Amino acid sequence: MAAIKSEGELAKLTIIKDELYETMKEHGSEEREFSQADIKALNVIPNNDTATLLKVIQALTDEKLLVGFALPGGEIRWRWRGREDARKYTSLPDEATMLVYGIIDSAGQDGVWVRHIKARANIQDATFKACIKVLETKGYITSMTNVEMPNRKMYIRADLKPSERATGGPWFTDGELDEAFIKAIEGIIFEYIKTRSAYMSRGTSVPQKLPRKGVVTGEVARGVKRTATDISHDDATPVPPTTKGVPPPRKKEMFLPMPAGYKKYPTVNEITEFIHMQKVSSAMLGVADIQALVDVLVFDGLIEPIAVNSRKGYRVVRPTKQDTLSYAKRKQEQEAHPELGEPELGPPPVSSAVTEAPCGKCPVFELCQEGGPVAPSTCVYFQEWLGLEEPAVLSGTVPP
Amino acid sequence: MLVTAPLAEFCALMIDEIYGELPSRIYASLLMRGRSTIQQLAGDTGMNARQLRHGLALLLQHNLLYYHLDTGSPQCFYEANVEHAYNLTRTGKILEMVEESFGPAAKDVMQTIILTGQARVGDLVDAYQKRIDRVNRAMEALKAEDPFGNGADSHELNGDTPPETKSEKKPDLLISSTAQLKSIICRLVDAELLDAVHKTTYESPEDLLAMFEAEILATYPGKEVKGNKAKAEYKDRVAEALRKDRSGSKSLKRKLEQNGLSAKRRKLFDGAASASGTPDGELDLGVDPNQVICINYEKCLVDLRNRRLMQFSADIIGTTTSWVYGSLLKLLSKDVSRCRDDPIIDHYEKDDERPVPVVVTTAQILDTIKTGLDLSVGLGKVDALKISTAAAEKITAQAPRKKFFIDVQAEVEGDATSDEEEEEEDVKPIMDLDYRPATNGVNGVNGTHVTSGANGVNGTSSKVKVEPRERRVDRRTQLRHHLLLLSESTQGFIRHCGVDEWTVDFEPLMRALRQVELDSAIENTAGREGIRLVRMLRAKGKLDEKAIVGICLMRKADMLKKLAEMQKAGFVQTQEVPREAKADVKKSFFLWYFDPEMALERVLDVAYKTMIHSLQVLDMLREENQVVLSLVKRTDVKGQEEGKLPKFYIDKYAQFLKHERMLLAQIHRVDDLVAVLRDY
Repeated sequence: MAAIKSEGELAKLTIIKDELYETMKEHGSEEREFSQADIKALNVIPNNDTATLLKVIQALTDEKLLVGFALPGGEIRWRWRGREDARKYTSLPDEATMLVYGIIDSAGQDGVWVRHIKARANIQDATFKACIKVLETKGYITSMTNVEMPNRKMYIRADLKPSERATGGPWFTDGELDEAFIKAIEGIIFEYIKTRSAYMSRGTSVPQKLPRKGVVTGEVARGVKRTATDISHDDATPVPPTTKGVPPPRKKEMFLPMPAGYKKYPTVNEITEFIHMQKVSSAMLGVADIQALVDVLVFDGLIEPIAVNSRKGYRVVRPTKQDTLSYAKRKQEQEAHPELGEPELGPPPVSSAVTEAPCGKCPVFELCQEGGPVAPSTCVYFQEWLGLEEPAVLSGTVPP
Repeated sequence: MLVTAPLAEFCALMIDEIYGELPSRIYASLLMRGRSTIQQLAGDTGMNARQLRHGLALLLQHNLLYYHLDTGSPQCFYEANVEHAYNLTRTGKILEMVEESFGPAAKDVMQTIILTGQARVGDLVDAYQKRIDRVNRAMEALKAEDPFGNGADSHELNGDTPPETKSEKKPDLLISSTAQLKSIICRLVDAELLDAVHKTTYESPEDLLAMFEAEILATYPGKEVKGNKAKAEYKDRVAEALRKDRSGSKSLKRKLEQNGLSAKRRKLFDGAASASGTPDGELDLGVDPNQVICINYEKCLVDLRNRRLMQFSADIIGTTTSWVYGSLLKLLSKDVSRCRDDPIIDHYEKDDERPVPVVVTTAQILDTIKTGLDLSVGLGKVDALKISTAAAEKITAQAPRKKFFIDVQAEVEGDATSDEEEEEEDVKPIMDLDYRPATNGVNGVNGTHVTSGANGVNGTSSKVKVEPRERRVDRRTQLRHHLLLLSESTQGFIRHCGVDEWTVDFEPLMRALRQVELDSAIENTAGREGIRLVRMLRAKGKLDEKAIVGICLMRKADMLKKLAEMQKAGFVQTQEVPREAKADVKKSFFLWYFDPEMALERVLDVAYKTMIHSLQVLDMLREENQVVLSLVKRTDVKGQEEGKLPKFYIDKYAQFLKHERMLLAQIHRVDDLVAVLRDY
């Protein structure tokens, strides 16, 4: 009697089950959490019978099509899972493997640390290893590294890409900070800001009373290949001189500050766009990434933020002290003459009085005292500074 | 001023360098033991009374001591005046500054006054009169020999060498008459560079404060101040009394003004004097010949600060702009007597009693700026459409409050102007370009409407600002361009406080300059990565390793190395924050932070020690070259070294002089830094 009843019921249940699953799918993504009331409100369960509901949900959960979890208050919620994913679960040999896979699955893009899996699953080491082996051979999971904790062995679902937080964003290559890449982009950004936030004077000061015809108004980034945007930007600015008078004597080229209230200081968005147009990197550099780099340039004291009206742009500091040769050009020069050393962005730092004298950079400064083991009157660095002695051999520790 | 051990040592060394060992030892003892009586000094230094008297007299003559005599007490207390002792380092700079702004003659007078410490005006006049007579006699004698009157023109190499500068060897005297001398003294007094020695000059600030406090306390019933209101009033009264006393040194200037000779007239007179050689007619300029005068270092520092700020602006913006800035500062600092306000003396209970900051107008600056300065250079030339005049002309009536986070400030500034305004502007200038009248003068008047808030008017008036290409821009507009650029700077060089009115908020500006000096010291020690971390910590506050590594785009190992290195150098600090109630090192956060005060102290310390070491090295060099130096000092060799000494000695002497110059120049350079960090 009961068997017959259950047979009919079973068929009925299967129908209800499928319908509930489809309806839930329609009502939201995999992220949506359904409470019991939500499910009842779907009006799939006949008469909203709680017992039926319980059975249906149990069946769905068994098939891994529903994931149940408890909220901190004790209330239970469900999420649906795609059939594809569910099949992965059901294809696993035992409960433990399923559990492990579940933990890794729920960690998503961040991945999960081996020790956390063990702690949560509460299984023995040998079992755990077997589970991982099964999952890896099936190609469901893969190991990953996190830049923040490079020593942790972590696993992630094989079909997911590690999150930005785990890879460290575009500035990291294989979990290592890509300093050469950063340096190159920094150079491009700095050059871009420099040429757009300061006025390149050719050093030809035209007498005041003459009309200023022979002056180039738009600046051109020298040494850097001009892009389409540059050229189209140029159209907005007045046309370069057409009059071919006597070329004024060439004087020193230098950058000059823009007048107050200049509205075209490049913003982060513009810089990002420029970097995109330049196609310098295959990696996607978002506004936030560029902002991080620009911030570093600000901290390096090479550029400063400047707000004109509500527009927040960046401009180069100490424009008159900037090198008129572009960074790219200097880099080329350096490649030709490696003895020049790596070119630094921007002008050399302002000299400080204390570091000019030997004492400011002295490795034994704290010990130095008349009558002590090291004393000013016997100081070799001072002798050297005064030109009384040849530079010491240990050039590493010697102040200049 | 906080007197640290290295500072004390440096002051003693400096006195030793200039005045010899005896005063230096007394001074060092005073620094070490604090205020002492003559008996105590005798005990501490082991000198006899005669030596002590000599030493103290010398120190007093040169304003290096304070003394205090309690009424009815037989004991007089002596105390070291560290400020003045330190300021001895700056003598060269002050003289250079005086020469630049008042001419070589004024420098000569100033030098004499500095060398004598303090001088009675009458004595100064006598001394110069004697010198003039002597030269006149020499000239006559020379003329008798050489009818063309063009003798060997020997120029002294070093202006800092004591009085022989004005020996008979210099036929062209800088000061040709006592009238000129008096006028120079008047001008220096008017500029507050000279000060009258008065009753309380030799009281130390602490004694002075105690004196006035006691005096004012006596007027309260029961000699007690009760209640908050009364306490505030008491504080105010003390401050006022101190201010009154401080202005006592200005009495000389006031007297001059009362005598009806305005600064302008004196200047005219002086111009006539230099033009015609000797002014005819004795003009009594009203300086009491019995008045004792000495140098006013406080005001000298203000002028030196102006020079430093000019340099600063030249570095940040450009030379042309820095000249404009220099003119502005000169105008502005006429009424600025000291660089830093004293927390007690310049304390005002109510804000409205506080003296308003000095303001200068564009016209005033235009009047003083050198005519030879080409204002059209030094600025980028940009299309008018790219300039937001509203942003450039923004008027900030209030001095900025002390800000803690740069970012917050930037945000606020960004919000201050609405987008609407900007849009309006985008359109206006285009129309105006054609309508614009030819003269700028009219538009200058329009400028007054900026505050009215009507946008239409704004648009037209703002046109003054826009730099039109291919059109002659008048000087006033050019000047304003530079001023606006200065006011836009992030360092806050000037503040546009009203229409065509400008002022300088020295406090935040000096903070910016101090920061730049600190940063350069750090950058030169720890490299660009080091300064990146420091600036980051300054902007963001306290951070732990993970947060830092997320922002600084450096390898974690490199970053930690750099931080540790800087912590050792005293530039960054760490703080341990336990995660649980039970502090466990393993479970604690370590926050890195940058403390500007501590870093500043550290750099100052290094600076003092550098100066000490330089002086000690100089001593060592003197010892080494003892033989040569003693030969050069001989009166029969002096002045004709070339002929009397063998070449070997001459070379050695030249080398020694070169090293001496290097070391002294280095001390001056370091002093520039100390001045910025401590005094300006």
